[in-house]
Amino acid sequence: MSEQKVARVGCGSAYDGDRLDWSVDLAKSGAVSYLSFDCLAEGTMTAAQLRRNEDPSVGYAMNLLPVIESFEAFLGNGLKIIGNFGVSNTEAAVQATVDLLRQLGRYGIRVGAVHGDDIRTKAFELDLDLPDMGCKLSEVGKPVVSVNAYTGAGEMMSLLTGGADFVLGGRTADVSLYVAPICYEMGWDLDDLDRLARASAAGHLLECGILVSGGRLANPPRHMLKNAVRIGMPYAEISHDEIIISKNPNSGGVVDIRTVKMQLGYEIHDPANYLTPDVTLDVSNAAVEQVDVDRVRVTGVRGKPRPDTLKVLVGLDLGWRVTSEVSLGGPGCLERADFARELLEARCAEFRGDIDDLRVDLIGMNSLFGDQIKAGAPAEVRLRFAARCSERHVAAAFHHEAKHLGMSIAGATASAPRLERFFGVTPAFVPRSAVSLEQELVTV
Amino acid sequence: MKLYDIAYSRAGDKGDIANVSVFVDDEADWPTIRDRLTVEEVRKKFGPLVKGEIVRYEFPNLHGLNFVLYRALDGGCGSGLRLDQYGKAYSSLMLDIDL
Repeated sequence: MSEQKVARVGCGSAYDGDRLDWSVDLAKSGAVSYLSFDCLAEGTMTAAQLRRNEDPSVGYAMNLLPVIESFEAFLGNGLKIIGNFGVSNTEAAVQATVDLLRQLGRYGIRVGAVHGDDIRTKAFELDLDLPDMGCKLSEVGKPVVSVNAYTGAGEMMSLLTGGADFVLGGRTADVSLYVAPICYEMGWDLDDLDRLARASAAGHLLECGILVSGGRLANPPRHMLKNAVRIGMPYAEISHDEIIISKNPNSGGVVDIRTVKMQLGYEIHDPANYLTPDVTLDVSNAAVEQVDVDRVRVTGVRGKPRPDTLKVLVGLDLGWRVTSEVSLGGPGCLERADFARELLEARCAEFRGDIDDLRVDLIGMNSLFGDQIKAGAPAEVRLRFAARCSERHVAAAFHHEAKHLGMSIAGATASAPRLERFFGVTPAFVPRSAVSLEQELVTV
Repeated sequence: MKLYDIAYSRAGDKGDIANVSVFVDDEADWPTIRDRLTVEEVRKKFGPLVKGEIVRYEFPNLHGLNFVLYRALDGGCGSGLRLDQYGKAYSSLMLDIDL
């Protein structure tokens, strides 16, 4: 069995700003030859583009330089790193990576990059349909901040084949960050659908980091998690006939059939048709089996041809958001919350019509589920206001009134309201021909 | 009996769409949720929180279900003002369903 080829790929991070100490533990354990870092949630790209608009030298992952500093000792010493660190500025990310590796004296390390997922110009030429908005891009009525296509594993695989030790992309799909090293290591072709599906399923299981090794499992008293203090980052062993999911040895957390099932179902809609840029993944007949402590075997995943289109996320500038909270407790706290809400509305009467959307919640009563779980009279409530305003001066006026509200109500205790930029994302789809990717390989 | 007593659940989001998966602890309870945890039950529990369609999928080998809740996150583009912007807590509402 020792002859059998196995790709050992671990999770480095699940989002930009994820903690790195636990993935350093995994690198130190020697269990993996590749670490993949997902740096992007749906909104991350738009936030990064807003930063780049103000300073053209930024817009890459906040985690990029900390990752290099934390992992440089392993780079080129049995570990390769793959990540969508470029976020909205892959060019600046390459420059920053090379500069830092030079400073660290790591000459000879090869840095690969995939450019071209930013398709703002093309998106306007095509005037993309925005199905969730029910309109065309040109009709959206809000400033378009970013348009990025989810890209696949192919270019990253080529860069690994070319000798890259550190590979970065822009909006590389989460799963593809794993498909690239797995297929590269195993020598699998991207048109071998069932193998591609296996690589993609492993990526899907790893891309949320500790969520497959015990994160979000703890639900006392029903489900207890022993040793959640230092949860082990997960990795997969992929061979010609199976996927094994495991985690850093000598760590907390757990990999069992519960954690694997929940991650398999995570953010999947139709389990028979999970669309990725590389393959349409069918996990509807997947099966899991605990083969040892913290080792789960996953079988039964199938592949179908990849979609003809690539998914795109369009980031829209929605203006400003103000959030404000006031706590009220003891007898009559709900009545005082009603009074506070009415008072704030009355004080905002002059510009109320200019607030795009205003939401009022009672934390402790209805903020998560509306009235869908009925509660008795609470000992205390936290009144929350959230307002969205296209114009900054309207947001500032609301912020001003929210800030001073507590002074007019008995026993109210408030925290400083927040005023921040607010943006949203909405999906679209483009033909693959609309996205032309370029590879770059630089030796430090 | 609540779903909480026999199952575990996790929620995820894509834009304005939430998905909530549910798996039973004990395989013997699989027929119970397969037969009784219907779209109608979920619709009743979530009420006005879900403004669009609810679609149910089965994981027969994993003994679980996946519910996809359209227009469930208070924003055409993942940009609502909800405290729970990504619907992470929907897994707990799901487990509150009486079977």
